[in-house]
Order: sequence, then C-alpha cells, then structure tokens
Amino acid sequence: MKNTIIIFLIVSITAFSCKKETTPDTIINPPTPIDTTISTIRYTGNFQNGPWGTTSGTAIIIETNGKFQLRLEGFRVNSGPDLKVYLSKELQPLNFLRLGSLKALNGNQAYDIPGSPNLMDYPYALIHCEKFNHLFGSAQLMMQ
Amino acid sequence: MNRKLLIVLFTCVAAQTGWSQKTAVSHVSQYVDLTATFGESQGTVAGSFVHNWKLGSRKRFEIGIGGRWTSYSGSKKDFLTAGPAKYTRSYTVPFLIFFAGQEEQNFDTLTLQRPLTHSINLMLNLGYTIAPKWYVGFNIDVIGFTFGRETSAVFTSNGITKTDPASKPSSFNLLLTGDHDQGSLNSEFYIRYKIAPHWSIKALYQFVFVEYQSQMISQTFSDGEMNDRFRNKANNLGLGVSYFFKQ
Repeated sequence: MKNTIIIFLIVSITAFSCKKETTPDTIINPPTPIDTTISTIRYTGNFQNGPWGTTSGTAIIIETNGKFQLRLEGFRVNSGPDLKVYLSKELQPLNFLRLGSLKALNGNQAYDIPGSPNLMDYPYALIHCEKFNHLFGSAQLMMQ
Repeated sequence: MNRKLLIVLFTCVAAQTGWSQKTAVSHVSQYVDLTATFGESQGTVAGSFVHNWKLGSRKRFEIGIGGRWTSYSGSKKDFLTAGPAKYTRSYTVPFLIFFAGQEEQNFDTLTLQRPLTHSINLMLNLGYTIAPKWYVGFNIDVIGFTFGRETSAVFTSNGITKTDPASKPSSFNLLLTGDHDQGSLNSEFYIRYKIAPHWSIKALYQFVFVEYQSQMISQTFSDGEMNDRFRNKANNLGLGVSYFFKQ
C-alpha cells in the first residue's frame, strides 16, 4: 500500500512539474539593417522602463512595399516570463496587436505587423509579460 | 496509447474472472476517493465521498450520490465561448445536443493566463463489479459552486485582441447537458482494482468543464446579444486511490 501511494505521488509531481519559459539572451538570426532605399521609416520611439522591467533601445516601424514591420534596434530588456511584443492603443495594453513572443533579450529584431492596421491607433510598442499582465517596457511612437 | 492501456486492463480483468465464491454482500458501499489527472498544461486534483446502493440479485450494479471537491489548475489555456447553446450548436434539444454540430463561427477565445478553480459539487455515480477485484464506473457532477483565482486573460475575436485584467471563475455549476451546462463540472470513466480489504486504486479518463467569466470585455453575437462566459473542455487521464468504509 505504501509503495502504491509513493508511486502515485511521484507520478503526480512529475506530471505537474512545469516547463520553464525563457527568452534567449541574443537573437540567432538578426535582421538585415534597414535599407532606406527600399523601406520608409514611418514611426520611431525610444524604449523606457516599465513598472516591471528595465528596457532600452529604439522601436521603429518601417513600410516596405505596403507592408509594415516593427524593428527593435539596440534593444535590451531584463529577463521575464512569457514576454510578448505588442502594438497597443494604451500604455497598459487593453486593445493591442500581438506581434509575437519576444525573440531575444538583446539585439536588433524584426516583427511583421499583420494586416493593414491604422497605425495612428497604436501609438505604443510594448514589451509585456502576458502571463502576469506586467509591463516591462514601452516606446511611444512618433510619426516621421 | 489509450487503446493499449484498455487492452491491458481488459486482459487482466479477463484473467481474473474466476467468480464462483459466494460471500455475504453489503447493500451499500461507502468510500472516499482521491484522484489526480494530467493534461496538456493543465491538471486536476479531486477528492470525493461516495455512497452507493447495490442493486440486483448479485449486487453487482451500483448507483449512488456523492460530494466532490475538484481543483483545476492550468497555464495559458484557451477558453471558448460557453454559450448560450443557441449560438454554439446547430440544435439545442437537451441530451440530443451532444450530437449537434458546432457553430464555430460564433466561437471567440479567452486565453486564461493562470486559471485556478475549486469546485464543490453534488455528483451521481454508476458502477458495475465485473470481477471480484475489478469494478468499472462513471460519475458526473450535477450541481454546486466554484471559487478560485482571478487571472488576466487575452480575448481574441476576429483577429482583434484585448486584455481582460481579471477574469474570474463562474460561481454556479449546473448539469443541463452539452452547451446548456453552467459553470465547472467534472466527470470520470474509471476502472478500479482492489489491492487490500479497504483500499482500491483506479485509472480514469476525465472529461472536465472549467468556466471563467470575463469582467471588462464581452463577446457580441451578430444579433447584439452579449456573452461573458468562456469554457475549457479538457480530456485528461489520471490515477486515483479509494478507501472503503463499507463495501
């Protein structure tokens, strides 16, 4: 009987042990530098620390052949769980576009912006911990 | 994998069927039961007290009632539109609704970041003793209440994403069949093996509903009706142990 309960507990603990969510320190395949002969810089902003994180670098939205992309240049943020990249209508995101999981804690990165949103409606680029709803960093985007 | 497990269990049962001795059989069984189930990024722990009445000349068939505490925990789970059934199913006749098609164009998603609920429900039990040490059964929650942790969620509707900072568990549970159901309800199909005079272990397949309600955002159907109920329907496998007071 004791053995049965011990095996039961081991199986339970093993099954419930959660996988670790981590963002890589550096990006494996950084994007090519912005080529202003084929792309137009539409918006830029500098990252500032959020209540839950330390963030620096520049957010840039470029347009290439009618498609938009968010670039993070000279980017750096401290580690956190479940970090996402948003374009948001508000500083604390309520209405937002989710561009994906943060690819790396450091370095230049690119995120495609799906569809054709009115970017005037989304003035903030955010690094947001989705699991705990914590803001790590924000950049207010200014039209160029 | 599940099929292999069932074949092994069935073979064990078949090997055990030397069912000839006559013993004095009680008219009731009473036991407490502890189970744990495991799914993808989610799981449950449940404890229950069961009182069954034995029916038939051989007292093999059992029916009864019980009370069950079910705790559910998950991580980043998608909860879909929970109803009303007229929006989520092609027809809504109680019981027959199980066979109705899903109206997926009316489904929106609330992704709960850290759902955690505790439900206390009255439950029904059915079971059958298939061999001296083997028993198969089914149980299902009928009515009760739920409490639990508020958690942030991401609501997705037609590509638009919004944050609901504090979705909370639906508090009232009621079995009405299919998408008519309200709240969080647990059910199990299981096979149990007696390992000692008062002890049994069991393997189970669980179907559990867990329901949350959004607080700051709502889904709007095409006719303007609003919905704030979202449900995760999980199929899990698990293990359990039972201690019998009467059998």
